[in-house]
Amino acid sequence: MSHGKPDRRQVLRGGAALLGTTALAGCAQAGGLDPALDRVRPGAEGEPARGGVLRFGLSTDPSNFHPHISAGSASDTVVQLVYNGLLAFDADGEIVGDLAREFGWDTDTRYEVTLHSEVYFHDGSRLTAADVVHSFELMLDPDNGTTTGPLLAGVEKVSAPSADTVLFELAEPNATLPFALASRSANVVSRAWWEGGADPRTSMMGTGPFTFVERIPGVSLTFERFDRYFVPELPYLNGIQFTPMIDDYARVTALRSATVDMIDYVPATHLDVVRRNPRLDLVSDTTFGFGCIGFVTDRPPFDDVRVRKAVALSIDRKAILDTAFLGNGEPMTGGLTAPSVADYANDLEGTYEYDPDQAAHLLKKAGVRGLDLSMVTTSSYSVISRPAEAALQSLRTAGVDVSLERQEWLTFRDTVQARTFPSFSWGTAPAYGDPDAMRDFVGTGGVWADYLKFSDDKVDGLLAEGRRTRDRGLREELYHKAEERVLDLCPWVLTVRREQGEAFHTYVRGFFHPPKGAWTLIALRQTWLEER
Amino acid sequence: MSGFLVRRLGLALVQLVVVASLIFLLVRLIPGDAARAVAGEIATKEQVAAIRAEMGLDRPVWGQFLDFWAGLLRGDLGTSLISGREVMLDLPPRVANSLELVLIALALAVLIGVPLGRWAALRADRAGDHLVTGAGILGISLPVFVLGTLLLLVFSLWLPILPPERFVTIGQDPAAHLRALVLPVVTLTAASTAVIARMTRSSMLETLSADYVRTARSKGLAETLVVRRHALRTALIPVVSITGVELATLIGSTVLVETIFGWPGMSSFLMNAVGSRDYPVIQAVVLSTATIVIAVNFAADLVIRALDPRTEAV
Repeated sequence: MSHGKPDRRQVLRGGAALLGTTALAGCAQAGGLDPALDRVRPGAEGEPARGGVLRFGLSTDPSNFHPHISAGSASDTVVQLVYNGLLAFDADGEIVGDLAREFGWDTDTRYEVTLHSEVYFHDGSRLTAADVVHSFELMLDPDNGTTTGPLLAGVEKVSAPSADTVLFELAEPNATLPFALASRSANVVSRAWWEGGADPRTSMMGTGPFTFVERIPGVSLTFERFDRYFVPELPYLNGIQFTPMIDDYARVTALRSATVDMIDYVPATHLDVVRRNPRLDLVSDTTFGFGCIGFVTDRPPFDDVRVRKAVALSIDRKAILDTAFLGNGEPMTGGLTAPSVADYANDLEGTYEYDPDQAAHLLKKAGVRGLDLSMVTTSSYSVISRPAEAALQSLRTAGVDVSLERQEWLTFRDTVQARTFPSFSWGTAPAYGDPDAMRDFVGTGGVWADYLKFSDDKVDGLLAEGRRTRDRGLREELYHKAEERVLDLCPWVLTVRREQGEAFHTYVRGFFHPPKGAWTLIALRQTWLEER
Repeated sequence: MSGFLVRRLGLALVQLVVVASLIFLLVRLIPGDAARAVAGEIATKEQVAAIRAEMGLDRPVWGQFLDFWAGLLRGDLGTSLISGREVMLDLPPRVANSLELVLIALALAVLIGVPLGRWAALRADRAGDHLVTGAGILGISLPVFVLGTLLLLVFSLWLPILPPERFVTIGQDPAAHLRALVLPVVTLTAASTAVIARMTRSSMLETLSADYVRTARSKGLAETLVVRRHALRTALIPVVSITGVELATLIGSTVLVETIFGWPGMSSFLMNAVGSRDYPVIQAVVLSTATIVIAVNFAADLVIRALDPRTEAV
């Protein structure tokens, strides 16, 4: 090489320098909070401590912060820190006031809510009844495609007869309205903020106990205490920082090593590990999360109810529970509604026990020889894929020639909506803890009913009648009949109700997991940290 | 040299244009889109369609393609469909975080692998050689997710020497940053070290039996000089080539390593984006990765020319 051009030593040195410089680039994006916020101040005798930042390992990176669209439990969790609804669920799963100081039925078709006074939004403006009315008008507008809209069906008018009162007027009685008002996506927004052009999918501004500070995609979601929260003593924490941890094992390891203080979606494979650890607490339910196999009911051979029932009888639910969830949960041999939600649920247990002989008999009567069951599931979530895989063995033992295709989550959802496969294996949860929640699944027009191509006038009639009455005994009777009818028509096969919960270190206090009502982490609002 | 540089840079540019165009089209072939990801599980078709329109995903693909290229030429990688943040805000630190892992792992692999391969070659068919070869096979065979999980289990939970750390930047807490770096780097380094050691060994064995090495020995040069100046330099040429390839492999491996160790790099950024069909982020990360791989291969060609000026690298 001639002078003026780099020789090979210079090139090699340059390469090494580049390597070193890049390696020590320092990098960035940790998503930081002021370290001073970590300090915990002990409370008076018997009182919660104040301060500190709760580090939370979240199972998913939320895809949407919209206060009226439920985009999954992770999104709901963060949204409920920033916003308030009118009603909420307490530790027992009972409906209590959130922004509502008083609430109740005025008449059979009028529901009145009196708001707390001195409620402020994070921008310092004061909450008015007009903000509440505007929020519900947004939810009710079908063009906005909100999750809450269908739950509020029958609400004809929302008005503010006084500065602190909101009135819901219904076309006909609807006993489930309080559940809709307590749902995770019935949040109150500031009209001025909304109309000021804010993007509610990516930013948040409400009246909740925490203000949204920052999101670094895939790294952290940071929230700080809102000092003017209307419940004087809350929140106890200075802040909450969520770290998305999609991998189940990594999430549990981070908890065990105290890298995070708390996690959601404790995987079934680690429930016992967490239970045995004296430094950890676990709170969970077997009310909501369930697995199922759905059929496209207008496609042969599943247009014949005997074939669907044969599949239902070919499934060994106990084996699925043991294989997929190590026994953490309950087999579902009856209806959708859990016994903790409705008393009648126990009467339906045992409708579909594992009975391969009866299944073979039904197939024979239906004229089906060697049933081919082509099923799709998602590989993205273990709570869905594991029971699907566990079901294969018992189906094959019963003589069903089953094939299972695993797809990535969004592909799977498109496939199910397009009804490309005659059956699918899914896992989900009812929106709220009332038997009426089954309308999403089997009521005409429900999203799931559409997947299943299912519609039945009798079921629709019973569900409508159940909504119209507030008589508890009568509602039990009506929903009992509705579930019996669904079990008889068998548009889907319920498999297992899985144990689902959150785990945290014993120094995390005040958190609860409602056993019914709804699947919510709203208790983070009143969680506190003991000095470690 | 300048002709070589112009040719290689031109080729790199063409490669980047092809990659950018292909990735734009390919991501749109994946079923599902960002509208479905943000719409929630129980959204109706109409709700999803409303969000799709709001995001501009219902526009003709060619229109989106032209916008993409117009933005790219202005240095604008677009806005995330999910977070609403400018991609350029999040991409550089994520790329830097991944490069930190990958380049340190690659540097360690070279620093350990080359001497180890040379040492094994000089002891061909003896116990030391068998040990290195056996360890190499183990290193190559052990998938990173198995090794990473094992390291995490042993050194974070059973012997809590290196408990998992919350990610902090080197500026925030240098010690914590370096502690958090150890296990992911070790995980990534293992396989690459094995590959480089094996390549160095076989290349050394070949050059050690070459005529010019025999000539050097017959001239009475000291064995260390023969090995270092004559054999190793030539033997390093295929090692440099394979090092460039290893970089691409390491970037691929970071998908798992970043997930296991909670390291906020570009692979986890890409994984999240793919899961939610965040097209601008997917395009930006893939383009960055392609740029890095092309740049490193270019650098490898330069190093090979520096080691052996007779080499025509294009």
